[in-house]
Amino acid sequence: MAGLTLNHLFKRYDNSGKKKKIKNDFAVKDLNLVCEQGEFVALLGPSGCGKTTTLRMIAGLEEITDGEIYIGDRLVNKVHPKDRNIGLAFEDYAMYPPLNVYGNVAFNMRAKGIDKEEIDRKVREIAPLMQIDDLLDKMPVKLSGGQKQRVNIARAIIREPELLLMDEPLSHLDGKARQAMRTEIKRLINKIKCTTVYVTHDQLEAMSLADKIAIINFGVLQQFGTPTEVYDDPANEFVASFIGEPPMNILETKIVDVDGTFFFTFKDSNLRIAVPKRYYSVVHDGFCCKMGVRPMDVLVGGEDSKGTSEEIATFENLGDERRIGIRVGDVLMMLITEDEKRYKRGDVIKLEVREEKTHLFDIETGDRIREKEI
Amino acid sequence: MARIQLENVKKAFGKVQALDGITIDVKDKEFFVLFGPAGAGKTTILNCIAGIAMPEEGAVKFDGENVNLTDSAHRNVAMVFENYALYPQMTVYDNMASALRSKLYKTDEAEIEKRIQWAAKTMKMENLLERLPSQLSNGQKQRVAMGRALVRTPNVFLMDEPLAHLDAKLRNSMRTELKEMQANLGSTCIYVTHDFMEAMALGDRIAIINKGRIVQIGTGDEIYYMPCNEFTAQLMGEPQINIVNAVISEMDGSLIATINVNGNNIALKLPEDERVYQKIKESNLTNVDIGLRPQNVKYSFEPKEGYFKSSVYSYESIGNKSVIVAECADDQLRMIAPNGLSVGIDSDIYLYFELDRAIIFDANTKEYIVRYDEQSFIDLAASMEEK
Repeated sequence: MAGLTLNHLFKRYDNSGKKKKIKNDFAVKDLNLVCEQGEFVALLGPSGCGKTTTLRMIAGLEEITDGEIYIGDRLVNKVHPKDRNIGLAFEDYAMYPPLNVYGNVAFNMRAKGIDKEEIDRKVREIAPLMQIDDLLDKMPVKLSGGQKQRVNIARAIIREPELLLMDEPLSHLDGKARQAMRTEIKRLINKIKCTTVYVTHDQLEAMSLADKIAIINFGVLQQFGTPTEVYDDPANEFVASFIGEPPMNILETKIVDVDGTFFFTFKDSNLRIAVPKRYYSVVHDGFCCKMGVRPMDVLVGGEDSKGTSEEIATFENLGDERRIGIRVGDVLMMLITEDEKRYKRGDVIKLEVREEKTHLFDIETGDRIREKEI
Repeated sequence: MARIQLENVKKAFGKVQALDGITIDVKDKEFFVLFGPAGAGKTTILNCIAGIAMPEEGAVKFDGENVNLTDSAHRNVAMVFENYALYPQMTVYDNMASALRSKLYKTDEAEIEKRIQWAAKTMKMENLLERLPSQLSNGQKQRVAMGRALVRTPNVFLMDEPLAHLDAKLRNSMRTELKEMQANLGSTCIYVTHDFMEAMALGDRIAIINKGRIVQIGTGDEIYYMPCNEFTAQLMGEPQINIVNAVISEMDGSLIATINVNGNNIALKLPEDERVYQKIKESNLTNVDIGLRPQNVKYSFEPKEGYFKSSVYSYESIGNKSVIVAECADDQLRMIAPNGLSVGIDSDIYLYFELDRAIIFDANTKEYIVRYDEQSFIDLAASMEEK
């Protein structure tokens, strides 16, 4: 059974109140998504891409322009938010300041008139799971950001919702707390096995937490797949450059035929990279496209390397790893190495590229150009 | 350009001692980074140099000359702030020209034009000059703020978290560009950040600041490989360094470190290294902390000779690689693993410490004692300084 199904979902914000009639474009355009029961799905995209709008439509806080939303097998288009059986955790904690942590966590059940002992049993059950057992008597003002978010999530899951919705729950936390909280959320979801939709603009969060990632841009779903799929097999240039840090190197290239062997060549650069054989059926001499390769797949060759000699434009020693930048035309091509060797600007290295790891993208549309299936 | 010195500078805000005896000596043309957690006093140091804040004790010197009584405008410093601070009603060109049109630094328009064109080219924003700040993205605004500093010939550039407001992608690419630009600047620059990657990548030297004091000053390599205490070690590196408490004993001339993993005592022989053995014995400590970077913890999902058993707490991808978190004593150990493993949470995992990469700290004072291969890292740091 699917935990959540979005069927041809559309959203257009209505601005009929305004004098000037501008036709808004769709905030969400023809979104189709199926989350399996117990799956953790991240909605990932830049700000303004429609991910929060989608989440709010699922929650029932935003009207749907067109399409269908199913939670489990139930069509919820016309169901009131409170009857959708969902748990919500947002970026701000929105706690009741006069109530202590216990009161905040218990609030919903008290409002529903569930008896005291039952409430107490549930709070005591969930508190150790979220590691808030020793905070129950504290007031919200006394809590750190990380603790507040724990309470917030505890409050969302105590109702045993069918669906858990989270909107950037970590974005208020600083680096260290965020890293720790990420680990906690991951463990928690694994334990309670609740279908979860998680909105974030941070690709790292999506990659580390989610079973599947839906990457959205301008309201349109770009790709839906596991973290490994979107990383290794991006559907288009947008996904390729959005996932991964530092992002994939993407360069405009012209393919040339040298005695039957195809090479990627670049404007204002002597860099030449062999085109993998599998693309031979789709390229030809003079073919223009974009070539993408991850910084991990660009290497510094040894002394007997056949790679092109290139001058180092930037060298950054980051402790755990080192990053080297090479100018290819007006693009800075990055490579990452864990090699201990220190370089400086102006040093010349032999540049090698793992050809089999290169991707081709259409210059106009940004779509992946794939080898023909045989 | 100038050499900037601070001598025992103290400054308090009410009861809070913001700066508690800061002494630094920034060489001419050096890129010097002030790095530390929020509230450490980094920005206050910068403000003291700029003349925005007055030290209560100590001296601020530009090229050996005391400027304590020189007001901000006459110190000729160029500042870049986190929140850009652009004039909203002026175009990018006028924003950049603003300082050069002031009474104090009056420059003729032809010269202004020349400098702006140069700065715009350096910052890759030639096409933005006619725009208003409201028509710029955050990354572009920060470029303008930097460009405005560049057109001047100040004694020193002071930059206060200039990249902090940008999103992760832009921050990284701007950092790389700043690094590229830095070589062309040939000017003294003092740069405040709380991001260790910025500190490592940009700084010729880094000063670690905490609670108004200087914890350590050194090159990135010195601080990364020979942190003076556990605080500094944990600041450098993502995921952060693992710190494991161990009891030291001696057996047949070898040092044994006993660690506690989920209730079991595990004895690990410390690899022989003359300096490490000597320093540990000299210190007479029985209780040490072993610092191991995540890339120096190896794992196996099958029992293996020399590996000890623990359990998986979590497995997370961090982009081009993943982190396994394992339980160890009351703490968590982080280690680097490839993406796409099928790792069950709470399943068994077997760990191995590459102790010949370890850093040893005093468990009581948390101070650095010694690290493996110390001499080679001292040599590495020295060779970098020459460059």
